[in-house]
Amino acid sequence: MDWIETIVNGLLLGGLYGLFGLGLALVFGVMRVVNLAHGEFIVLAAYAGTMLAAMAPGVPPLLWVLPVAVAAFGVGYALQALLVNRAVRTGDPLTPLLLTFGLAVVLRNLMVETFGTDPRALDGGQFTRAGIDLFGLRIGLFPLTALAIAAVMFFALQWLLTRTEWGRIVRATSDNFRIVRLMGVEPNRVYNTVMGLALAFTAVAGMLLALRTSFTPYSGVERLLIAFEVVILGGLGSFWGAFAGGMALGVAQLLGQKIDSNAGSLYAHLLFFVVLILRPTGLAGRGR
Amino acid sequence: MAALLDIESLQVWYGDLQALYGVSMQLDEGGVLALIGANGAGKSTLLGAVCGLLEGRAAGAVRFGGVPVLGQPAEALARAGIALVPEGRMLFPSLGVEENLRMGLRTRRSGPWTLPRVYQLFPVLEEFRHRPATALSGGQQQMVAIARALLCNPRLLLCDEISLGLAPMVVEQIYASLQRIRGEGLAIVLVEQDVRRACQSADRVCCLLKGRVTLQGAAGAFDHAQIAQAYFGH
Repeated sequence: MDWIETIVNGLLLGGLYGLFGLGLALVFGVMRVVNLAHGEFIVLAAYAGTMLAAMAPGVPPLLWVLPVAVAAFGVGYALQALLVNRAVRTGDPLTPLLLTFGLAVVLRNLMVETFGTDPRALDGGQFTRAGIDLFGLRIGLFPLTALAIAAVMFFALQWLLTRTEWGRIVRATSDNFRIVRLMGVEPNRVYNTVMGLALAFTAVAGMLLALRTSFTPYSGVERLLIAFEVVILGGLGSFWGAFAGGMALGVAQLLGQKIDSNAGSLYAHLLFFVVLILRPTGLAGRGR
Repeated sequence: MAALLDIESLQVWYGDLQALYGVSMQLDEGGVLALIGANGAGKSTLLGAVCGLLEGRAAGAVRFGGVPVLGQPAEALARAGIALVPEGRMLFPSLGVEENLRMGLRTRRSGPWTLPRVYQLFPVLEEFRHRPATALSGGQQQMVAIARALLCNPRLLLCDEISLGLAPMVVEQIYASLQRIRGEGLAIVLVEQDVRRACQSADRVCCLLKGRVTLQGAAGAFDHAQIAQAYFGH
């Protein structure tokens, strides 16, 4: 029973991990840009949520997800429009990589300057400590909610991409950014909304992180690593693969922690390593 | 009346390499111009300069409906009414047949071409509308590419090698549909390897050789020897 509970908790944690990877997978899938500042944006959203919650103590902290995500959309849109599109235009894939690397350094140090290096957390109150009994298992209400939110995000993105006109334009632009221009589509504008949406997803992940655990301005690097592993485990550009990848990492980490209480995340990285050797294209990869 | 498309001493360079040396040509509203020439003569470069997808550096003038358009971005020209059927079809592989077609509607131009109309022109596409675009045969994919361009409701349709790699019967079908498309009054530039077919389908012909115009005039005005001379340039 103990083991089953650990696995279930791993799956719940994996939902959050999948969400870490979602924004990264979206940006890479559409414009082939790796956002190295992804982790910093997760942490930035966590700080934003914590600040908002401190200003209005009566409001359930989870509600702040919405305004933070909307603001993150604006930040992503502006970031793409003002900086990343210019970097992409150079034609050298290294330029956007260096740009986002530099951005990560700047953001991290700005956060140290503004918030200090003391660990912070967002107190979700009773809700984050409550649990429910399910088939004899004790399951945290908050991890369950986090998984549900992550699943909703994945479904929403899938729906947007496959069922809406916006999604059709995004897929076409991702296929061939020159040819869409013949149909009156401006690829840069598409990229702006994609980056906005990616950072909105990232902000949701950051808020959930803040409610789950404490963080410092330096927490971004570790989240970026998780996001990378999730995206690569799932197979580049596959969103459902990323969700499954997140679950696998979550389970590996918690099982590892149970066996060896000091080195939980080592086992997650080991799993990643093993999958890379056995199946380099990822769980859902088609071996392109 | 001014020509719909007026190209005047157009020059194009890719780096230090010059691809077009002062090319001039005109096309009237509703006309069909066949652009012929060997590989590397500069036909695709010319189309690129007209539709805004050119990657090189250009000088000279391209006027569309009297308005200078050289150097304008492709998305603006698409909205102004220039559509291209690109060489190699360039369908969106992630999209289904109808999704590919709907991309053409993005220019939001009104005109005779609607989804039902293109399905009438190419009934097989309606049958396969939910299939992935890349699951179709080459000829059917070419139909998708043409229909997608038509849905932009262009005033000028540029067709780059639309018969390339297709079986003769399919080519016959594609060219038959082109005659019906002409009936809607848009002007067409046909880039074609098959000189005879090009001359049959067009009312004017223009031959390029190494970036220069070597022959230009009414499609029926030249005999085989003249065209061969212009094409190969002995």
